[in-house]
Amino acid sequence: MATPFRRNFCFAAICLLLPAIAAAGENSQTGTLPITTKSRQVRQLLDEAWRLNLDEVKQAEAIEVLHKAVKVDPNFAFGHLLLSQCSLDPAEQVREQQKAFATRAHASSGERLVIDWFQNAADHKLIPAITDMNEVLSRYPHDRWVVFLANWWLTQQTQYERAVAVFERSGITDSPGLMNNTAYTYAYMRRFDRAFALMEKYVAALPKDPNPQDSYAEILRMAGHYDQAIHHYQAALAIDPQFYSSQFGIADTYSLMGDQNRARQEYQSGFKKFASLPELHRVQWQTREATTFVREEDYASADRALQAIADRAHAQAMSQVEADTYRQMAIYQPDGKQGLHLLDKAETALRQGQNAMPFAIQQEMAQVLRARVEAALKSENKKMAAATLARLATVSRNSDDKVIESAYHGAAGAALFADHKYNEAMSHLEEDINNPLSLQLLAAAYQKVGYGTEAKRVSETLANLNDPSLEQAVVVPGFRKCYQDPNCGSAFKNAALKK
Amino acid sequence: MKAWRLSLLLSIIALASTAHARQVAVIADTNNTVISVTSAELVKIFSGHTRSWPDGKPIKIILRDPSSADMELAARKLFNMTGDQARAFVRAHSDMITIADSDDAVIRFVGTTRGAIGLVDLYSLTKGVNVLKVDGKLPVEQGYFLRGN
Repeated sequence: MATPFRRNFCFAAICLLLPAIAAAGENSQTGTLPITTKSRQVRQLLDEAWRLNLDEVKQAEAIEVLHKAVKVDPNFAFGHLLLSQCSLDPAEQVREQQKAFATRAHASSGERLVIDWFQNAADHKLIPAITDMNEVLSRYPHDRWVVFLANWWLTQQTQYERAVAVFERSGITDSPGLMNNTAYTYAYMRRFDRAFALMEKYVAALPKDPNPQDSYAEILRMAGHYDQAIHHYQAALAIDPQFYSSQFGIADTYSLMGDQNRARQEYQSGFKKFASLPELHRVQWQTREATTFVREEDYASADRALQAIADRAHAQAMSQVEADTYRQMAIYQPDGKQGLHLLDKAETALRQGQNAMPFAIQQEMAQVLRARVEAALKSENKKMAAATLARLATVSRNSDDKVIESAYHGAAGAALFADHKYNEAMSHLEEDINNPLSLQLLAAAYQKVGYGTEAKRVSETLANLNDPSLEQAVVVPGFRKCYQDPNCGSAFKNAALKK
Repeated sequence: MKAWRLSLLLSIIALASTAHARQVAVIADTNNTVISVTSAELVKIFSGHTRSWPDGKPIKIILRDPSSADMELAARKLFNMTGDQARAFVRAHSDMITIADSDDAVIRFVGTTRGAIGLVDLYSLTKGVNVLKVDGKLPVEQGYFLRGN
């Protein structure tokens, strides 16, 4: 058994780092995170930011309010932290995370823990991030900001059960924003009964607000209830015709329903009506519009649409957006060599590394390498696949990031599957179950080794996946078609489609 | 719409449909000087063949109910046991193994008991305990022994 070196702690140095300003009481007994600012206006702005960001989900407006707050009090470390998490501008996300860390000496110990938690997460230091989060949660289990941040972060970590437990244990029953977020977490768990119940409460709590209708629509769509989803999106737009998310939600829903012409009409109508979308939202829905061509297997049109997004991202120095766009183009290329060419462009963009958090660049690089392994396998270049997989394994070994790890397991599973090593492939693919490409291989691997029940379960998951992503477009429609065709050699005939 | 930062991996799908991989952390009290064990040593500890730490302190084992998902994983990885076999094993060794009803309880016990060792889910970890490496790896590292579905 190995033993550690004893560490020398510089107590004096630690004391010097204590906040110069005493926080407004360390309110762990009342369960409220102490917010450190001398400005009453900043506290009011923080409340407003909650309402806008969480309850009404007007992110752009909430971000403006947070801008005001940190302008009034530039040392408002928690404000910088929130801005880093809410911002829709990658460059601002980076800047604000740095400012939160730089100003943390002005914050209460509870706020510092929150800042450390997100800094550790950003630095891929997962165990310290977890212990920071649990420390904050044990001190302030009923604080709405803490509950929101924990629910959100745990959901990102795919710790859905834990994320809902944070909400359930908080005792907070009157926060529309938390109902909304937790309903989504239940939906990711495919516990739609719970999700719908929370959505009913959310709609009732804010009857004049469009977001509850919009959220309800999205969750209905995830459950495959397309017509009801469109009805709720329309209800949201009836409340607020400027609520652009619902306009694009309708477009996404038509695309999932298979009506690509109507979907494109709705996207175009949205872009025309809402000319000044936040950049990342524009990219998201332009990508979805391009995905309509992928669903029609019109790859030339998809290429043109996505190339335009990549060009714009390049012009705006948004390296990760550019790389991610090339990566997505590579995924659907019938010719593996063309896919590899696009992935070269993705890597070039990532090397620029402009306006993106370092961790986001690393995550994207892992995704690109994973796509490269798949493209190499498609073009039967096993040597390149093996070399790229080795590169990705090194990246993954030196990181504890879930996205990077999943990318590695997805790639390793694909390579082993191609080598007919199904048992070994399964253990990797099981670690990447958020990706339809891996789910498809996993179902096939289970079938190959005779795990019929497992194959059926995974097949059902895949067949009932209603997500407007490009990966879904590449995998799920074909999977469903094969499932319904008696002449198709699919081994997944037992999967039940839920409608 | 959910209040959410667009992390910009725009195509990553939040989908929880099948079981997620778990990582079970091996924890000890913060006074314990051991920072790393091998999987073979863990087997000896949890089977009662090793009953003290290198400094002579007696080892006290605390675990969750063997039917919990984490414990089923640990039993499978350490002893190649099914859930039923693990439950029978724990019943037969009740003098040696304390069962707690939550990860929090395991952590509290380990954090306040010299010589204690326990198993908890990675995401339950707090600052009050040390996480031991297993075969040189922490739970977040690739190839960690106590990881699986």
